[in-house]
Amino acid sequence: MKRDVSFVLNGLEVTVAVDGHDRLIDVLRGPLGHIGTKEGCGEGECGACTVLIDGLAVNACLYPAMEVEGKQVATIEGLRDEENRLSVLQQAFVDRGAIQCGFCTPGMIMSAKALLDANPVPTEEEIRDALLGNLCRCTGYVQIIEAVKEAAIRLKDGS
Amino acid sequence: MRRFEYFRPHTLDEAFALQGKFPDSRFIAGGTDLVVQIKNRELQPSALISLRSIPGLSGVAGDGVTRIGALTTITGLMNHPALQRNFPVLMDAARNLACVQIRNVATIGGNLCRCSPCADTAPPLLVLDAKVRFRNAGEDREIPIHDFFMGPGETCLAPNEILTEILLEAPAENARMLFLKKGRVKMDLAIASVAVLLEMDGERCRKARIAAGSVAPVPMRLPDVEALLESARVTRELLDEIRHLAAESVSPIDDIRSTGAYRSEIVGVFVKRAIEQLMGWSPV
Repeated sequence: MKRDVSFVLNGLEVTVAVDGHDRLIDVLRGPLGHIGTKEGCGEGECGACTVLIDGLAVNACLYPAMEVEGKQVATIEGLRDEENRLSVLQQAFVDRGAIQCGFCTPGMIMSAKALLDANPVPTEEEIRDALLGNLCRCTGYVQIIEAVKEAAIRLKDGS
Repeated sequence: MRRFEYFRPHTLDEAFALQGKFPDSRFIAGGTDLVVQIKNRELQPSALISLRSIPGLSGVAGDGVTRIGALTTITGLMNHPALQRNFPVLMDAARNLACVQIRNVATIGGNLCRCSPCADTAPPLLVLDAKVRFRNAGEDREIPIHDFFMGPGETCLAPNEILTEILLEAPAENARMLFLKKGRVKMDLAIASVAVLLEMDGERCRKARIAAGSVAPVPMRLPDVEALLESARVTRELLDEIRHLAAESVSPIDDIRSTGAYRSEIVGVFVKRAIEQLMGWSPV
């Protein structure tokens, strides 16, 4: 039986009819049309589906959609500004060559955003720990870690 | 995924009533394991009854006895200053459990009730002599955590019981404790893990608690090793004997993650290493 679930998606209130067995990613990519969030393994290993719920990184593939009632959900779509410009973090990923096939990128960026929101000046170890649950099969991670460091510097400088 | 209903009751009574209505339902806490099991068709419940909206099941409270709500997330544990101060062995395990995304959702109660031999929070709670409290429709029960694990995936909970709290007595002033874990990579399930708690009085060990994960059907204490430590002078010379005894005290299996022989070896090495670190000795 479908039930209406209301939550805030990237700052906008949405209400969507949800089945008991729907996961958050089913609802995001299905009725809400937010296909930026990817499903990789579907088992909480790869982190491609990472979104923020009340500011914390979670795997949307393991999160029952019914549980987002009243919560704040942030996805990659919410990062660009009103003029459709990339956020500082996204631009740092582009500039540092941290994107190849791009499939892991939305999840990587959301994990990095959760980190930088809570800890604007992370150590490399903290960056690695924050991205532990995000697999990338292209880059070898070095560029991704450099991109997060670069974003932290740019955000601090306000550029 | 097979279809199922999803309920979010706001009281335990409501949860029990729903369970009565849907006999093959399951309670869900964080769901980071349960959802995967359903997806892989290992479980096919007709309904999930979420415990997340029931007030009072999550959070940490108490000064004499610390009460950890079963629905407290692993991140919730890590962010709690009193837990960090008093129970560092549990914090070591929390910090090394899977990855951020899982820690933000997975709960300590779920970690225990899943009853995996590799449950990371189990060895620390075993060495801390934790108690667990659970509720069925009628009453509360409280038992030592040593009696909680029955077999892989099997706790002593009846189907109509819900784990509500984990209770921890404050450790002695001089208690030192440590958790060590070996995985293929950091976020992997443990190949083997060891928790050690020592209360030393010079070279005498007043109390030793040693527990290991992933080396038997359930997380287990190593009573022979504890007895050896409590009966002898704890010196570097004793370490080799302890290492061999620890390795022989476990009965690990070969599986996809490792071999039994390697797991035994690791348990011996980890017990030795933990004692070295807790005693402040440099490694031999």
